[in-house]
Amino acid sequence: MNEYLIRKAEPEDIPFLADVVIASEKGMSDRLSFTTLFNKPEAEARELIIQMFEEEVDGCELSLSSFIVTEFEGKPISGSGAWIEGFNGNMPSGILKSNLISYTFGKESIAYLKTKSHIVKDLQIDREPMTLQLEYFHIKDEHLGKGLDAALMDRIEQNALAEYPALKKVQCQIFKNSVFSIKILLRHGFKIVKSYRSDNGDIFDYLPYNEKLLMEKVLKIN
Amino acid sequence: MEKEEIVSRLTPVFRKVFADSTLVITDQLSALDVEKWDSLSHMLLIAEVENEFTIKFKLKDLNKMANVGDMIAIIESKL
Repeated sequence: MNEYLIRKAEPEDIPFLADVVIASEKGMSDRLSFTTLFNKPEAEARELIIQMFEEEVDGCELSLSSFIVTEFEGKPISGSGAWIEGFNGNMPSGILKSNLISYTFGKESIAYLKTKSHIVKDLQIDREPMTLQLEYFHIKDEHLGKGLDAALMDRIEQNALAEYPALKKVQCQIFKNSVFSIKILLRHGFKIVKSYRSDNGDIFDYLPYNEKLLMEKVLKIN
Repeated sequence: MEKEEIVSRLTPVFRKVFADSTLVITDQLSALDVEKWDSLSHMLLIAEVENEFTIKFKLKDLNKMANVGDMIAIIESKL
């Protein structure tokens, strides 16, 4: 593990973080909601994700300040996003993310979303205020199996507890077909607390799967 | 444009986006008060409000909108 450097994300990491978001969103599928729901090709969606990170809005899954990265031989090889929901009086992260998308993607994309929103609405899960929300967790394939996932999870929790010592829970929303990520979370003490399912037959054209899990870990307060 | 006129034009927009024909908007109303006001419907709301008033919100405007009163004040400033 000594060859890995875990640190907070910096502006120069933003293109890599866009790749982390895309890889994490796709999960075990080839469907990326930033393309399927907003009618954008992946290359353009990637540029728009970069623009959203560059706005440096704190408190959501597209905030530079939410991310840590791992460096190996001077290059980023993992990215993980986490933030405390509603911390410091922030608006709900879903609203902040929606503001970023509304501002960045433009009217045509939102008009397209309007025609598709009914398909994905059953998989919208509210985030619980003042819990640590884990979203986007990606390690390059060649660095899997080296204990990095556990080190990253520990670092994410330590960082959050340093910021908010009364933190009691970590939550993660994850598609049910993301089996490897679910295994990592279970190994790290998460439990599945709720399942959300869509019976809309078109959902597989837009999202990686038709079922999402809410996973949760209760933190031990020392 | 007077605040009353803004409210009278905003009300049908809110009712349409949240599919609630009885919704009454007040300055204090926020996403926490309306069950269907989630991240998806928020994007549709912003687009509909921009269309209604032929304006474009800046990102810093959007991130200052903690409730409908904030939204009305920003719309007022743009008209």
